[in-house]
Amino acid sequence: MSTCVELNRLQFSWPGAQSPLLSIPSLTVTRGERVLLRGASGSGKSTLLGLIAGIHTSGPGQVQVLGQDLANLSQHRRDRLRANEIGYIFQQFNLLPYLSASANVTLACQFAPARRERLQQHDIDQQAAMLLTRLGLTPEQQQQPAHQLSVGQQQRVAAARALLGSPALIIADEPTSALDQAHRDDFIKLLFEACDAQQTTLLFVTHDATLAPLFPRSIELSEINEAGAANV
Amino acid sequence: MFKLALASLWNRRGSVWLTIVAIAVSSLLLLGVERIRVQTQENFANTISGTDLIVGARTGSTELLLSSVFHIGNLSNTMSWQSYDYLQNLPGVQWHIPMAMGDSVRGFPVIATTDALFHNFQYGNKRPLAFATGKSFAEHEALTYAVLGADAAAELQLSVDDELVIAHGTGEISFTQHDAHPFLVSGILARTGTPIDRGVFIPLAAQALVHGDYLPEPATAEGHEHDHEHGHDHDHGHSHQHGPTHDHGDANPPVYTISAVLLGLENPALALRLQRVINTYKQEALSAIMPGLALQNFWRTLSLFERALVAISVLVVITGLLGMLTTLLASLRERRREMAVLRSIGAGPMTILGLLVVEAFAVTLLGVLLGTAGLYAVLFFGADVLHESLGIQVTASVLTLRELYLLAAILVAATLLSLYPAWRAYRNALADGLTVKI
Repeated sequence: MSTCVELNRLQFSWPGAQSPLLSIPSLTVTRGERVLLRGASGSGKSTLLGLIAGIHTSGPGQVQVLGQDLANLSQHRRDRLRANEIGYIFQQFNLLPYLSASANVTLACQFAPARRERLQQHDIDQQAAMLLTRLGLTPEQQQQPAHQLSVGQQQRVAAARALLGSPALIIADEPTSALDQAHRDDFIKLLFEACDAQQTTLLFVTHDATLAPLFPRSIELSEINEAGAANV
Repeated sequence: MFKLALASLWNRRGSVWLTIVAIAVSSLLLLGVERIRVQTQENFANTISGTDLIVGARTGSTELLLSSVFHIGNLSNTMSWQSYDYLQNLPGVQWHIPMAMGDSVRGFPVIATTDALFHNFQYGNKRPLAFATGKSFAEHEALTYAVLGADAAAELQLSVDDELVIAHGTGEISFTQHDAHPFLVSGILARTGTPIDRGVFIPLAAQALVHGDYLPEPATAEGHEHDHEHGHDHDHGHSHQHGPTHDHGDANPPVYTISAVLLGLENPALALRLQRVINTYKQEALSAIMPGLALQNFWRTLSLFERALVAISVLVVITGLLGMLTTLLASLRERRREMAVLRSIGAGPMTILGLLVVEAFAVTLLGVLLGTAGLYAVLFFGADVLHESLGIQVTASVLTLRELYLLAAILVAATLLSLYPAWRAYRNALADGLTVKI
């Protein structure tokens, strides 16, 4: 199996900071893997995700996504790679409140020609509707403006947007922390099913250790991050 | 991207509407001022139309124009009745209106003229004079009847059959009142928005009567009564000829001198040739001017005022655009989340920048369109009111090229201004990334 994400002697510090926030000798996530990355608040989880998503650029060290070294890509190429190959789910407020659920999902293809291509055989709207239905939204809910949906529904719409057009990697940044226990387990189950159907890699970040048993592989950020260990 | 910008605007429609209205009002003002400026200039040029030449004793063109059309100032030289006779008989002259000035009624200029004024004088878009009430002084047998312009009648509080006394000289207060010869009002003209509105019009012979140039012996006076003159309508083949006299030589003229003559030609193209003929007339030193050209020259001297007006409305537009800038900048803070979501699905910082520029453009475009619609609403519903109350004549014509340029300039300015908040959003997008610290 090929690697999906590979970190090599990664160092990162915010401008003006005394010591690096992240210093990760190595981390590899292979394709199709479902990985839980656990870390305390403020331990640099979101920053790490920003680096993998190509929003920030690292200092010394290497971030490879799908075999491409992000440091060698221009801003535009990184944006394009993220649009095409990475589905991103936030903790909450994932959606543009003024668009319908369905429009929020199809927005994923707006900047992503590769995703549109993968959907070629299918109508984008139809595909979005299928995903939303599989994630448990009724056709009426799919047409509602996003701000009228419950938080749980919104997270499922966000998942549908991340999944549409089969990107290689889904990054979920504490997507369940705004949900209660029942909804949380439900959401993770649905996410797993969808990822399996598309053979999508899942990088799931949380501070909640109780989720670890659900994942085949689970990583403690403090264990791989030498900078974090030094700070604590 | 355009759809996304519109959807985002729709989401914030409350404040966006206000911005659009502000831009609409300011562009309405700019267009309105521009239109009033241009149309005032046109009106100014339209104070007289259809008249091809104005002739007076040798003088400057502005003096002749001011005294004959605007009834301002006083011509120191007058032309003889013989010259007037000569002018009437020039080839191609279709009609002629003699004017003798110098008297006033409480500051309103008295113009001694003939009935031809009411038939042949035109202003604006070739509109003839019309009577609001009453009739021409020529329809009375006696000479002591006057026709008043609309403003003169309103301010002197005179109506038909009221009496008025004419003073010598043009001052507000005159020590020489011609009260031996009180006049009666025979008619009042409809408002024209031109200096005609301030005029008091009396028959030529009446001025002579007032001044005592001419002693009205019963027989001669009869010979110059206007109803009688219709029978003498023999020259120039024009049915509206109401010249005071056409019996050259054998009868005394009603006055010996007049101030100016308005000439209408059968073919306006003849004006230039006729102007030269008149200017080189040997018997008397005369000046002939073409009113259109003289008005244009005169308008140029008034351009300072119009420039101030334009400057003010440009400042108002700038205020409107700054309002939009403020709204855009203020909205950036609450929209950081929106930007982060867009970034997460692959929108580059340039896309974020473009989104804001498109947004500003759309808002301004709507504002400008609304302002233009407002202008037409005002022109359509308010044109009559404006004309009646202020004498400003504005018409709801198609946007001129210059007005389109102005609107385009507003759009360009708005787009350039929006680059600042767009750049801020761009910077935010780079700095925030996907984590928004609010």
